[in-house]
Amino acid sequence: MYHTQSKYIASFNEWTEQKEFINFTEEDESYLKKLHPYAMNYADECVEMLYEHLLKHDATRKFLTDEKTLNRLKLTQKAYFLDLTSGDYGEDYFNGRIKIGMVHQRIGLPPQMYLSTFCYYLQTIIPKIYSYPDLGTETANKMFMALYKIICLDQELAISAYIHAVDEVITRQTEEILEMSTPVIQVWEGVVAAPIIGTLDSNRTHQFMERLLETIVATNSPVALVDITGVPQIDTATAQHLIDTINAVRLLGSQVIITGVRPAIAQTLVHLGIDLTDIITRPTMASGLKVALDRLSLRVIDMPKGMQGV
Amino acid sequence: MEGDSLSVIKLKDILLVTVPDDPGDNVIQELQVKVLNAMEKFGSKGLLLDISSVNVLDSFFARTISETTQMVALMGGRTIIAGMQPSVAITATELGLHLGKAQTTLDVDRALDIFSDSSS
Repeated sequence: MYHTQSKYIASFNEWTEQKEFINFTEEDESYLKKLHPYAMNYADECVEMLYEHLLKHDATRKFLTDEKTLNRLKLTQKAYFLDLTSGDYGEDYFNGRIKIGMVHQRIGLPPQMYLSTFCYYLQTIIPKIYSYPDLGTETANKMFMALYKIICLDQELAISAYIHAVDEVITRQTEEILEMSTPVIQVWEGVVAAPIIGTLDSNRTHQFMERLLETIVATNSPVALVDITGVPQIDTATAQHLIDTINAVRLLGSQVIITGVRPAIAQTLVHLGIDLTDIITRPTMASGLKVALDRLSLRVIDMPKGMQGV
Repeated sequence: MEGDSLSVIKLKDILLVTVPDDPGDNVIQELQVKVLNAMEKFGSKGLLLDISSVNVLDSFFARTISETTQMVALMGGRTIIAGMQPSVAITATELGLHLGKAQTTLDVDRALDIFSDSSS
């Protein structure tokens, strides 16, 4: 899923710019690299401390259900932390970090827990960095700052992955709503009906028009009922979109009947000065269907008594 | 050069023209001339334009068809345009193109029905 480009996911180039912005230099890289052997040394202990902490809290415990998962996570976590000091922060690192953000989002770990966990982790390793006598305070300070910078960069990627995932859900749902809200159905041989639910913006009009026209041609229908009962209000833009649709249908050689013109809609149309006189309009879908059948020279008649159910 | 591909068919008392898929300006111009000549020659009462294979409709096409419709009307015939594709109709609407007084139908069959209804 994460190959789709959302505006929230940075490209590797943008991330490189971000590195510059945060002032993550080659010097930082070299300090992190220098820290690596020490990190190897304290990694296990810090991971243990971290998970002990995570298990103490309900918000994080529920993700650590069984021993097997726990052990597997500890291993991944260790690798993840060691990556921080790998000294290589190229495209592979970038992709890996985005993937991790995605995974956290997918399992439903809230972003604040992700951030807090990182904070706790820092709390466990900082005393370690300062505990090595051979490093000295100045080097330890530089290492700490470098570590802090790369962690910030990591967090930016993870958070953007979170937002991206949410953004994708919204995009998908918007599309689904769009699809659902403009069904075109054949109600009789030669008659299609299209109830419009919600407002008609230009985006939806285009999709609606396409669907309506294609269905008209596919079903060879000379009459199309467009029902606007579900349209909350009509403004000049919506009306223009309707008129465009009607004109397009006419070009095909079919005719639109607008149904569901409620009193409020009729009032608005007249007040706005929108002229629909050369378009057939009816208050209900049923009355519109009658007109449609009329156009097709069809008639619905009462069945004689005793013929029902045949 | 594409002139040969365009033929006006006399079908009883109407004229049938199938417009090729991507008609150039000269083809459309020629269509008008051929149709009007045939109107004079046969005294047809109608013109049926089958545009079901047309993928692209431009302003020149739309205007010429609209004008041809008026010319045919002056010579005593009615014009029906049959089989426009949905994508063409959408583009035409977006560009604000219209075909003037020409009547439209979903396909050639329906157009023929209209012609035979109006003659009886």
